Amino acid sequence: MSDMSARGFWAEAWARYRRKPLAMAALVFVACLATVAVFAPAIAGTKPVLCRYKGHLYAPCFGYFDRRLEPAIFAKDRFRGTYPRNLQEKDPKSWAIWPLVFQDPHRAVRDNEWPGRPGNPAKDEGRPNAINLCGTDQYGVDVFAKMVHGTTIALLVGVVSMGLAGTIGIIVGALGGYFGGWVDMLTSRLTEIVMCVPTLVLILAVVAIVEKPTIWKTMAIIGMTGWTGIARLTRGEFLRLRQSEFVTAARATGAGPVRIMLRHILPNALAPVLVPITFGIASAILTESALSFLGFGPPPPAASWGSLLNDARSNLSMWWLVVFPGVAIFLTVLAYNLIGEGLQEVTDPRLREARK
Amino acid sequence: MTAAFGSSMPLLEIDNLVTTFHTPGGRVPAVDGVSLSIERGRTLGLVGESGCGKSVTAMSILRLVAAPGVIEAGRIILSPAGGLSRAGGLSRAGGSVDLVTLPESQLQEVRGGRIGMIFQEPMTSLNPVLTIGDQIAEAVLLHRKVSREAARARSLEMLKLVRMADPERRLDEYPHQLSGGMRQRVVIAMALACEPDLIIADEPTTALDVTIQAQILDLLADLRRRLGTAILLITHDLGVVAETCDDVAVMYAGRIVEQATTAELFARPRHPYTIGLLAARPEGGGHGSRAAGRLQTIPGMVPAPQHFPAGCRFHPRCAFARQPDCSAAMPELREVAPGHLVRCLYAESLGPPHCIDDLYQEIA
Repeated sequence: MSDMSARGFWAEAWARYRRKPLAMAALVFVACLATVAVFAPAIAGTKPVLCRYKGHLYAPCFGYFDRRLEPAIFAKDRFRGTYPRNLQEKDPKSWAIWPLVFQDPHRAVRDNEWPGRPGNPAKDEGRPNAINLCGTDQYGVDVFAKMVHGTTIALLVGVVSMGLAGTIGIIVGALGGYFGGWVDMLTSRLTEIVMCVPTLVLILAVVAIVEKPTIWKTMAIIGMTGWTGIARLTRGEFLRLRQSEFVTAARATGAGPVRIMLRHILPNALAPVLVPITFGIASAILTESALSFLGFGPPPPAASWGSLLNDARSNLSMWWLVVFPGVAIFLTVLAYNLIGEGLQEVTDPRLREARK
Repeated sequence: MTAAFGSSMPLLEIDNLVTTFHTPGGRVPAVDGVSLSIERGRTLGLVGESGCGKSVTAMSILRLVAAPGVIEAGRIILSPAGGLSRAGGLSRAGGSVDLVTLPESQLQEVRGGRIGMIFQEPMTSLNPVLTIGDQIAEAVLLHRKVSREAARARSLEMLKLVRMADPERRLDEYPHQLSGGMRQRVVIAMALACEPDLIIADEPTTALDVTIQAQILDLLADLRRRLGTAILLITHDLGVVAETCDDVAVMYAGRIVEQATTAELFARPRHPYTIGLLAARPEGGGHGSRAAGRLQTIPGMVPAPQHFPAGCRFHPRCAFARQPDCSAAMPELREVAPGHLVRCLYAESLGPPHCIDDLYQEIA
């Protein structure tokens, strides 16, 4: 026996996955995006990552995650969001660690805000240069900073909505597949009904009705309509595995239905179900981008990649507003699709055999 | 007191069990009025061709028959944990229970707790994503209130009991890393983990090669001697029966056609079907057919349950059938000698095997 057989199913799948360069590259890319999302305020921003001011250490950059996390002392000392000069003037002994790129995702950087550097150009003047890596939009806001801070939304949309969809889909599919009979009848019809609901139209309707449309509500709707494929697949797997001898054997040792579903069937059904979840993340990102493009994105100042594209709609001469967010969306969706395909290849025994 | 009382009645008594499958093609009675009793500490062999209903009988005992199969009638009485009773056993150890009507929650205690099961295919009867140790420990944890560590220790003990090579290492291995024989040992360990009173072994050696088969049968016989567990051994292999069983029941077309002790049945088979089965063995016991180098066969096929013939279900294939009696009514299972039950009108006239050999010769 080779050393590969000395591991469990997932360890073995991972060993095979690691040998797929494209799928690995996609995984690394998504990992990088996640890093960017987490460290966005340290990559692009105008608030210090860490600074010493009047004898105390502060981290104003957390203000980008939530306004309330910005230390109150800076509001009291009337910084008005501009740190470099204020820090120098109000406490000459202060020091600060700045983000990698001094650009703000919410507003244009003004003249001399960073000592000796000109402000961001507005209108269609702001083509990409050394200061504005991806150019600026019509208000002079830096596109690179917007994209870096939009990564959080792009990733959250995929993961949260598919987390929700996966949970619903697996539960519904598992119940239908395991119990069969009228339970299956009920869950299958429910799945078919939900499948008929056009996600985008439903979201547009909800956004129009709901008073405060937030990105979370969008995620909830994508999640609550996107579980049908997962449910069908889970149902099929449960139907198949329910008949398998090891499930009968588990029943013969006295295991109850809940234990059999969770401990015996689910781990065996999970691999094929992970694949549509991964593809679902990609399509959720696309849906969110489409919504933002149509103008139903997260409310300002939060900006998603799709809303950047929306800005470009009225300023077609500013090609950088189309290209950079477009490429970001494209690459992210591609990466998730490659990961899904990789997962499929390493976990589906039929494909695995075919590739040998 | 209770132990004495308990030992006077069989451990498991199946009474007139009827299990049918409701298929689009109609009602299919796979098991049609089977009565059996299994004594404590004894091995009963249930023999028959494929499709005769022996596996369905086994599955019916633990109510594991998959839809569209339904137990339509009969009782399966499990007597209380007796003699070898252990502390902390079942809560209602007081009386006998009918497994057919027992509520599901209590049935779960019986499954694996009082009746263990061994399946035919060791390759598929273990969960591929759980380690050996986890699977045996689960069987323990389901029925005993013990810690995970204790369950793991018990798993190791069980692997040693079933003579698994290198048990400490096997505990953390997955089923696909083991050979067929080793897997079957794991399945046996799981079935025995909670010291059941009865083990149902559904063709436990069919999927294994001959040398491993002998080892597994030895193991079962040895475990029965040491633990006093009764065994219901389902097989189509009369050789296996001769080696391991105390009693034999022969099934044909959903019914028991003959039941006796192993010695009695092999020495004096009374039902034409049993006689045919014995004659069909390669080691057929000095039958004339052997000299010719050809094995004796029973002509025809087991009828499908939808097309059971009227009267004795074996009569269309029976060399001794006499019309119109044999197709008139289903013969009763009657006692022709002490402890020897036969379902044939002419059981008495079917004498020792050599006479029958001559009969077969005549027909051929």
